[in-house]
Amino acid sequence: MSSGEKNPLVDLFTTFFGKHWPVWVGGIILGMLNVLLFAIKSPWGASGGLTNVGDNLYGLVGVFDASGITAINENNYGMLVILIVLGSFSGALFSKEFALRFPPKGEMIKGFIGGTLMAVGATVGIGCSIGSFFSGVPALSGGALIFTAGMFIGVILALKYLIWEMENRPGWSSGKSYTWLAAEPNKGQWQIYLGLMVLVAIIIIAYSHLKTNPVMTWFIVIAGLMGLISQRSRFCIVKSFRDPFMSGESQGSVGVIAGLIISLIGFTVIKYFGIGAMGESGMRARELTWVFPHFWAKAGIGGFIFGLGMTVAGGCAVGTLWRVGEGQVKLWFSALAMVLFMPFSNRFLVPLIDGILPQSAKFRNYLPDYLGYDGAFLLIVVLLGAWYWFVKWNERTGKFSAF
Amino acid sequence: MEVKMTLDCKGLSCPMPMMKIAKAMKELKPGEVLEVFGTDPGTKTDLPSWCTKTGNECLEISDLEGGVNRMLIKKI
Repeated sequence: MSSGEKNPLVDLFTTFFGKHWPVWVGGIILGMLNVLLFAIKSPWGASGGLTNVGDNLYGLVGVFDASGITAINENNYGMLVILIVLGSFSGALFSKEFALRFPPKGEMIKGFIGGTLMAVGATVGIGCSIGSFFSGVPALSGGALIFTAGMFIGVILALKYLIWEMENRPGWSSGKSYTWLAAEPNKGQWQIYLGLMVLVAIIIIAYSHLKTNPVMTWFIVIAGLMGLISQRSRFCIVKSFRDPFMSGESQGSVGVIAGLIISLIGFTVIKYFGIGAMGESGMRARELTWVFPHFWAKAGIGGFIFGLGMTVAGGCAVGTLWRVGEGQVKLWFSALAMVLFMPFSNRFLVPLIDGILPQSAKFRNYLPDYLGYDGAFLLIVVLLGAWYWFVKWNERTGKFSAF
Repeated sequence: MEVKMTLDCKGLSCPMPMMKIAKAMKELKPGEVLEVFGTDPGTKTDLPSWCTKTGNECLEISDLEGGVNRMLIKKI
């Protein structure tokens, strides 16, 4: 892949891995893959998979009874999490962007605290920035809209904190840092070869499930692509919420809006026609897919805590996973905290909150039940349109941006 | 060309490098240059678009040894 004579294959490779993709390209492809996941089984989510990884870890060391825990390689969403990391790892290697980046100590602590807050937020809110937002909103869930509002407030407050910290405690994000295994300029071909090996490994893992569990094969292939695409386009939900109020940039938000529009169309069709449903009761189950019993208080509280966490960590659920694959050690601490605390929060904190909240604060709100399919679809389109208009206007005027 | 201020963003991930750069640029006078060392691949994409938006000039983004990028920004 070295420079020299023109080779169309090298040109193609450079197009994909020479520089970052626009976020909207990533958003559109991720939205399409999300629709494909739903058509095959159920939409994209990350917190369920992270909890499964944690459960298995605790089962292995004997903290929880391992008999009731599904093995990671039998859990679609557990594998989704692992494969997003592997997909991003291969994307980072192909573009020679992989390196183990150890930040100053304070940043690693912030990563861990952010991950802990995300663990609490995602378990209380039944879903993370993916399940209760990037998939939940197109799933026409009223709870997802409340989760989003909570997440937005969390992001704004945590951003205010980050700005305060930078002004008043600059030492917390400075100090000794280390970078290992980076590709040297015009060298580092080993990263491309290792990337190829990771890609082959993903194909082998997918193929190994083909006979026994073809749905899993689909999940593995799609998750690998999702990781790679997220890394190349730097797709991140926290960026889409935070940047208009920080640097004033709108690309992150536009990318997420693009993905949401694609998913909204696909999900609405699947739900309206009950594609993949078995019988009359299956029809209703299909409609209520990714419509969680969290409207309104559980979604609001969970979303708020999750928003705080993802901003402090600097990565949402998927943003954390692909940055893990890229070698950002701060986000390793976030992922570790999510894996460690989600199983505990699920077993101890969530039942406590469920006991306090009345049923009227934690029910499934399916928007078409109240507004019809056309009304619910239009409501989401109008909200996304308003968000698009706001971030573009704000980018021009800088009215709400801090810098 | 004289570098007025140098910022070490090595090891930091999004959003810390861009936040630190934006804060440092506020402290410079027009014509002065900020030098930044960083390791986050995202900054290489975020910085030029931020400079375009704020009217500052991104003079250089180069790859050094050890996965470090050197970025030079002139305040306009």
